Amino acid sequence: MSKPEISSERVISPVLRYGLAVLSVGATLALALLAQSYSAHNPEFPMLLIAIAITIWYAGTGPGVLSVILASTAFNYFFTEPRYTLYIGPSDRLDFVLFVVFALLIGWFAARRQELQTIRDRLQIEVAERTQQASLLNLTHDTIFVRDMNDIIIYWNRGAQELYGWTPEAAIGKRAHELLHTVFPLSAGEIRAELLRSGRWDGELQTTKTDGTEVIVSSRWSLRRDEQQRAVAILETNNDITERKKNEERIQKLNQDLERRSAELEATNKELEAFSYSISHDLRAPLRHMAGYAELLQKHASSVLDEKGRRYMETILESAKRMGELIDDLLTFSRIGRAETQKTVVSLDQLVREVLTEVQQDTNGRKINWRIGALANVYGDRSMLRVALVNLLSNAVKFTRKRSQAEIEMGCSNGKQDEVIFFIKDNGVGFDIRYVNKLFRVFQRLHRAEDFDGTGIGLATVQRIIQRHGGRIWAEGEVERGATFYFSVPKS
Amino acid sequence: MNELGRILIVEDDPKDVELTLTALEEYNLANEVVVTRDGEEALDYLYCRGSFKMRGGENPAVVLLDLKLPKVDGLEVLQQIKSDEKLKFMPVVVLTSSREEKDMVTSYKLGVNAYVVKPVDFHDFVNAIKELGVFWAVINEPPPGSLRKGR
Repeated sequence: MSKPEISSERVISPVLRYGLAVLSVGATLALALLAQSYSAHNPEFPMLLIAIAITIWYAGTGPGVLSVILASTAFNYFFTEPRYTLYIGPSDRLDFVLFVVFALLIGWFAARRQELQTIRDRLQIEVAERTQQASLLNLTHDTIFVRDMNDIIIYWNRGAQELYGWTPEAAIGKRAHELLHTVFPLSAGEIRAELLRSGRWDGELQTTKTDGTEVIVSSRWSLRRDEQQRAVAILETNNDITERKKNEERIQKLNQDLERRSAELEATNKELEAFSYSISHDLRAPLRHMAGYAELLQKHASSVLDEKGRRYMETILESAKRMGELIDDLLTFSRIGRAETQKTVVSLDQLVREVLTEVQQDTNGRKINWRIGALANVYGDRSMLRVALVNLLSNAVKFTRKRSQAEIEMGCSNGKQDEVIFFIKDNGVGFDIRYVNKLFRVFQRLHRAEDFDGTGIGLATVQRIIQRHGGRIWAEGEVERGATFYFSVPKS
Repeated sequence: MNELGRILIVEDDPKDVELTLTALEEYNLANEVVVTRDGEEALDYLYCRGSFKMRGGENPAVVLLDLKLPKVDGLEVLQQIKSDEKLKFMPVVVLTSSREEKDMVTSYKLGVNAYVVKPVDFHDFVNAIKELGVFWAVINEPPPGSLRKGR
């Protein structure tokens, strides 16, 4: 298709256009006069009409009118009797009128044709623009279709074909939401009201492809109105969000699972709490009574008891005491696991001084050489760290009991990144490194009860405390050559 | 001559009552002891109700209060005492088997004057009771309106 021509009126300047009128009439007049001198019969009549036609064709209506006036005047002046006057004799009046009528007719036809030409050009431009727009809409990946107010599809782009599977030929002319089995989130009335009020609507729709699979789309509608503001069509743009929806549902389900599990955990925790409460209260009371009455009996009947009887009595009392210690240690262990840590900056220097005062009460004048280095500050729960240090330091005291000169050393060094590593080293009985993995387990002991007393819970508690601080604990040792315990805690 | 304040023991377990009384007797502190066996009876005593209608209206010098009690439990008794204008200055010592932090925190929030965990070891138990008795019934000056007798 050729490029549409632009009407001459729009490009040629008025001077040129009116000049054309004067020039064409003038030139034709000269030619007609020349032809007449060669005794041609009435050559001016068609020649001037042609000049008018050319002027109107190329220069438009205004110059056309000028050319009609100029041509009729020239016709009157040069070619009607009496010549060279503007008066028209009776014999030529008919000729003159005929000339003017022809001139006007030609002018009118030419002008009309010009007008049609202009309209055609404009239509061609519009058609070209629309074709280009439609092919642009075909380029987008989005699903776009247009339907009229009766829901009949009138446009269907390539994105729509790709998503739903119908070709434009198959889709155009069908009712959109019957074709797609659309499920709306709101009633059709509500959507229509919103669309007419604001010209837009968006929401999530469930639609169905040609193969029957369901697609969830995020849909945006825009209303098109004509010049009289009547709603004529709806442009619908859909984005496939099925995958996103599925993921959202998956996440939601996972969250629900998590919630359920944490509720279960919470319930278990509550049960454990109730359990340890009952240990704390209900188990201790009978134990206290056993110890109390055994003591009273001992006092009351010591005169009638022989050596054996007194030893039995002692054993009952010792066992009751030991069970009391076991319960207390177990409770501490379980409390450490449950209690929330309250972390602050803790000065280990100060804390260790405090703990040593407590631990040294039980050393009964033993010779212990304490070597405590400068200790870093850490970030942790002070009361929990205190429990850990009491356990570790009293262990060191306990297991060096057989040494005439006990050596207990504590110090620290920088560990990985933000942690400090502390160590407590003694020259006590040590342990067999083969059993190191049993060291931190509840109720596991590496020494006989008659050699060293204890419940077997202390180091398990220490490990739990250190783990609750995000740290590690480990030990090195050798039988009869001492033990070293290391633990790491976050720096302050 | 020292004056001896009256001790109100609130304890449901008869063995604990016996052991406590034994401990108090050993130090001659048992003369002015009243034992109530649950929270309701304790409140009856304090408000001179029911079987205690006829007693004089003085408050005891100290209440030794167990927490786990039938009917009205120890924490409820404590709350009642500490929210009553006439009773709230009376010293209350919680004497319990429970080492639970929750109980301890609640008791202190309610305004308890001391919180003592009953030791399992009998010597420790006797010592604890003796010290409580001596301190609250002898050394401490109870608020006005409490009963004290020369011993």
